[in-house]
Amino acid sequence: MSDSLDKEKLNSEKIDYTIDFVTTSAVSKIGIKFLIFYIPIIWASGYMATAFFFDMSMIINNWVVTMFLLPFWIFILYFVFVFGVALFTKGFLLMINMIHKPKEGVFRAEEGDQDFEFWRLRVELKKLVFWFMNNGPLPWIVMWGFRWLGIRVDFSSHMQDAWADGGFIEFGRNVTVGQGCVVMSSMVVGKYLIIKKVILGDYTVVGGVSNISPGTIMGNESVVGAFTATVPNQHLEPGWIYLGPHVARKLKVNKYAEQRRDIIYRKNVDEETKYEVQQEVNIDEDKKRLLNNSNKEE
Amino acid sequence: MSVPSSLKVGPNTTLTLAKKRYLIFYILLIWISIFTIQFEFWLLWDIYDIGYEYNVHFYLFLPLMVFVMYLSAIFVSLIFAKLMLTIVNFIHKPREGIFLRHSSDKDYRYWSIRSVIKKWPLWISHKFPFPFMNNICLKIFGVKTRFSNSLFEGFVDTEFLDFGKNVVIGQSAIVQSAVIVGNLFIIRKTILEENVVVGAHSIVMPGTHMKKNSILAGSSLTTVGQELEDGWIYLGAPAKKYKRNVFSEEDLEHIIAEEIEKEVKIDIKTEDLYTMRKDKHTKT
Repeated sequence: MSDSLDKEKLNSEKIDYTIDFVTTSAVSKIGIKFLIFYIPIIWASGYMATAFFFDMSMIINNWVVTMFLLPFWIFILYFVFVFGVALFTKGFLLMINMIHKPKEGVFRAEEGDQDFEFWRLRVELKKLVFWFMNNGPLPWIVMWGFRWLGIRVDFSSHMQDAWADGGFIEFGRNVTVGQGCVVMSSMVVGKYLIIKKVILGDYTVVGGVSNISPGTIMGNESVVGAFTATVPNQHLEPGWIYLGPHVARKLKVNKYAEQRRDIIYRKNVDEETKYEVQQEVNIDEDKKRLLNNSNKEE
Repeated sequence: MSVPSSLKVGPNTTLTLAKKRYLIFYILLIWISIFTIQFEFWLLWDIYDIGYEYNVHFYLFLPLMVFVMYLSAIFVSLIFAKLMLTIVNFIHKPREGIFLRHSSDKDYRYWSIRSVIKKWPLWISHKFPFPFMNNICLKIFGVKTRFSNSLFEGFVDTEFLDFGKNVVIGQSAIVQSAVIVGNLFIIRKTILEENVVVGAHSIVMPGTHMKKNSILAGSSLTTVGQELEDGWIYLGAPAKKYKRNVFSEEDLEHIIAEEIEKEVKIDIKTEDLYTMRKDKHTKT
C-alpha cells in the first residue's frame, strides 16, 4: 500500500484549493468573554425555577405532602429551568441577530472578523440550551430546542442522538439522522470559516457516526451509510445510497425506498404475470388452519 | 451547535474499568465533593436562617449558589485527586513503553490506579456547561495545554500529551496516549503542535506526532507512532497524505468562495482509498 494517495498529484506544483475533506466545526478558540451571557441566563432561569418552587411550597403547607411530592417537583423544576434557559437565550439571540444578521459565506476565522465573532457568540449561546436538554432526563426534547433556535425541522424527523450546528440546516419530512452523527453547517479550515446551508430532503436517512459537511444537499430518499462523510458542497442524487469510509461515494440505487411507494406497485400489477405466492406469516397454528380453509373454498 | 447527546459518542472519562480494589479512591473523591456541596448549603441556610418565615434573599441567590457549589465540588475533587496522584507518582513514576496487560505488571497496575483517580474529577468537569473546565482539569492532571485549545467536544487522554496553540479536536474525535493491543499495553507520548486540527470522528493513536498546521480529516485514523508532516492534510485509515494545507495563507476568501460553489468529483479523486464493490446493481 502506498504511503500517499497519488504521488504524481502530490508532487506537482499546482496548488489545489478545493475543499474535498471534512474537518470540524468545534469552536477553534473558547471565547471566555462570551461566557458573560451565561451567568444572567442561568441566574434568571434558575430564579424562575426557585420562584415556582417557592409558590408551590406556599400553597402546600403540609411538609409530609411536600416530601411526598419532592421527586415530582424536582422533575418539574428541571424543565422549568430548561425552558427558562431556552427562553432567555432566544431573547439574547434575537438581539444579537438584530445587531448582526447571520449569513452564509467564507470568512476569516480570526478575532476581529465580525462574522466570525458573532458566529462564535451564537454557538456559545446555543450550546448552553442544547447542553441542558441533552443532559436532562428527557433528551428528545432537544428536537424542540433545535426548532426553537433556528433549524428548520418538524417533529416527523429524528436527530436527538446526533450533534448538530444550531442554524442553516433544513430538514424535509421524515428524516432520520443516526446515532453519533455530526451535521455541520459551518466548518473551520485553516484560517477560514465556511458557513453554508445543509439541506436534507424528504425521507433521507443518515447512518450512524457519519459526518455531514456544510453545503451538502441530500436529494429525496437518498441514504448516507454508516461511518461516511460527505464533502462540502456535495449534492447527493435522489434515490441513491452513498457509502464509503471517509468520503461518500455512490453505491447503488435505493430500492428499499420503493417499497414505501405503493403507487408504483399498483401500476405494475397489470403489466406483469401474476404468481401465486405462499408466504410464511407469523400466525398461530390454529389460525393457519382457518386460512387454508378459506383458500380451498375459493 | 450542540454537545454530543444521549448517545455519548466518546467516553468522557479515562478509559479503564474501575477495578474493585481501587474503588476506595473513587468513593473518597465523590464523598469529599458531595460533602463540600452539603457544607455550602448548610452555610447558606445558616446565614439566612430560614425557618418558618420565608427569606427572599435565600431564594434569589440560590441559583447562583448552586453554580458555586458545583464549581467548588469540581475544584475540591481536583485538588484531592492531584494530591493522590502526587503520592502515587512518587511511589511509581509513570513512564512510556510497552508493558504486559496483567495485574502482575507494575506499570499497568499504576496506570489503572491513576485512571481511577482521574475518573470522577474529569467526569464532573466534563459535565459542566462551561467548556474551559475541561482545559483546567487537564492542566491540573499534567497535560501541556492552553486555553486557546478546544478539546471539550472530543475525548482526550489525561497524560503523556503535548498540545501546542490553537489545537482543535473535532466532535467525538479521540486522542490517545495509551492503547491496549491483545495482551500488550502501550503508552507513548502523543504530540499535537500548533494549529493542528483533528477532524470529527477521527482517532489519533498513541505516539502520533502531528506537526504544525497539519490536518487530520474527518473519520480518519493514524497508526501508532505515525508522524504527520508539517503543513499537509491527511485522510484515510491509516491516514495517508492527501494534499498540501494551503488554507493558512492570507487572502484566500474569494478563491475558497468560488471553489465551494463548484461540485467536487470525489469519486475519481479518492479512487485509491477504496475497494470497489462490483455487482449487477452498481452503476457507475
